[in-house]
Amino acid sequence: MTARAVTADIVLGLVPLALLVALWQGLVSFGYAPATLLPPPGLVFMRLARQLTTFTFQQEVAATLFRLFTGFSIAVVLGVGIGLAAAASAPVNAIVRPVVRVLAPLPKVALYPALLLLLGFGHESKIVLVAADALFPILLSTYYGASTVEQKLIWSALAAGTSPRAVLFKVVLPAAAPSILTGCRIGLVISCIVVFLAEMITSTDGLGHVLVTAARTFQAVDMFVPLITISLLGLVLNGLLQALRAHLLRGFPEV
Amino acid sequence: MISGSSLVARAAPLLACLGLLAIWQVGSLAMNNESVPTALEALRAVPSIMGDKESLINILASLRRMAIGFGIAVLLSIPLGLLMGRNRFVASFFNPLLMVTYPVPKAALMPIIMLWIGVGDLSKTLVIFLGVSLPVIYHSFEGAKAVEEKMLWSGAAMGMSAAERMVRIVLPAALPEILTGCRTGLVLALITMVTSEMIARQSGAGNILFNALDMGQYDTVFAMIIVIGAMGICFDALFEMLRARLVRWSEPQFDMPLSFS
Repeated sequence: MTARAVTADIVLGLVPLALLVALWQGLVSFGYAPATLLPPPGLVFMRLARQLTTFTFQQEVAATLFRLFTGFSIAVVLGVGIGLAAAASAPVNAIVRPVVRVLAPLPKVALYPALLLLLGFGHESKIVLVAADALFPILLSTYYGASTVEQKLIWSALAAGTSPRAVLFKVVLPAAAPSILTGCRIGLVISCIVVFLAEMITSTDGLGHVLVTAARTFQAVDMFVPLITISLLGLVLNGLLQALRAHLLRGFPEV
Repeated sequence: MISGSSLVARAAPLLACLGLLAIWQVGSLAMNNESVPTALEALRAVPSIMGDKESLINILASLRRMAIGFGIAVLLSIPLGLLMGRNRFVASFFNPLLMVTYPVPKAALMPIIMLWIGVGDLSKTLVIFLGVSLPVIYHSFEGAKAVEEKMLWSGAAMGMSAAERMVRIVLPAALPEILTGCRTGLVLALITMVTSEMIARQSGAGNILFNALDMGQYDTVFAMIIVIGAMGICFDALFEMLRARLVRWSEPQFDMPLSFS
């Protein structure tokens, strides 16, 4: 594609976003929606900019990020580990496959009350929920990536005298990397969403809690701010992971 | 004729369920925590929920909202996704919008939507609709993009109109991918349904769950978790059967849901 076509695409893509903001502003300006229910976009973004510099708001963001990253890291370690093990060993596979088949479609939020009872209302229950939700996309894509590694690569490595354990880390893991990273990306966005929802349902801090408090007092502006913050966080983290992926997978054929 | 090994393969998820329940039973006995009932106690509470008229009406209302939200989302998203896959302008028009809305927690829109249109069925159905749309659009898009050009050229050479090519070539060719999207959407619909009811706390399955938690009826809490979990597993299994029938011709696919985006 030429550079010109790319620019045209970007411009075309900005149209609906601009329309959305214009519609939002229009609804307020022409009095279809009272500003108490739908604050004008300028106000919301100014409020967001101001909030981001206050210490209390930063603390809420920090609490959310801490839960997000801890849960996500647990999910990555467990997901990649179990996924590789299931692809490498038949007995593990025989157990993991049916268990995953049952647990993957189970709505994990329904487990949240049980986690609250078991682990209390603090960080732990939210971290476990995030980990449980992010685990399956990562596990499944690891398993999928590792079980579709070309057999010839493995045979060559074995023939060259590599031990089976080393093959797993030196051949299978890198070959499955594109698939694993795709899974991680899905898992990361899910983590963002889940941590926010968990904080909305029961919490004393974090971005989700900010939204709920604002909703209780009908402060519409303050309801938009945490929602936009978590979405921006999702976009930024997604972009960072994309950059990491491009860095890790440099030299790979187009993926 | 079902062979022995395929019988084992079919029974494996069932065995897994029993295994998980057994682990729960042993774990709860070992913990001896008052707020965590054993698996048997929780299972025993299931009939009392399903027998109670009010909670049954609540659960059915939840399911109705989910079905409507899911249905409308699928009907609108598949044509949009297919169009995006076949037309570069449509794709570059919608892609940034979808990318920006992708990480927004849909159920978290609930309090805002409630401000605008109330707590009724409409707001909950709308949230479910939003949650289901994105994965279905995305997968339809990917499916339509991968359709072989040669087939479309042959269709055009045989005198098919653009609309006809869309329905008779692109739709069937993208069907396996579309159904993957629908499967993800189905699980998401259930998740969004439960979450929105947990947040709005007015009626529905999620509300029963949290009311029981507030009132300390722990066996009801866990029984409700079993009910909702069973719904997820059953829907997924039913959809998988439907998928296997519709796209029997396609290559045997991975039998686990791959993407939960």
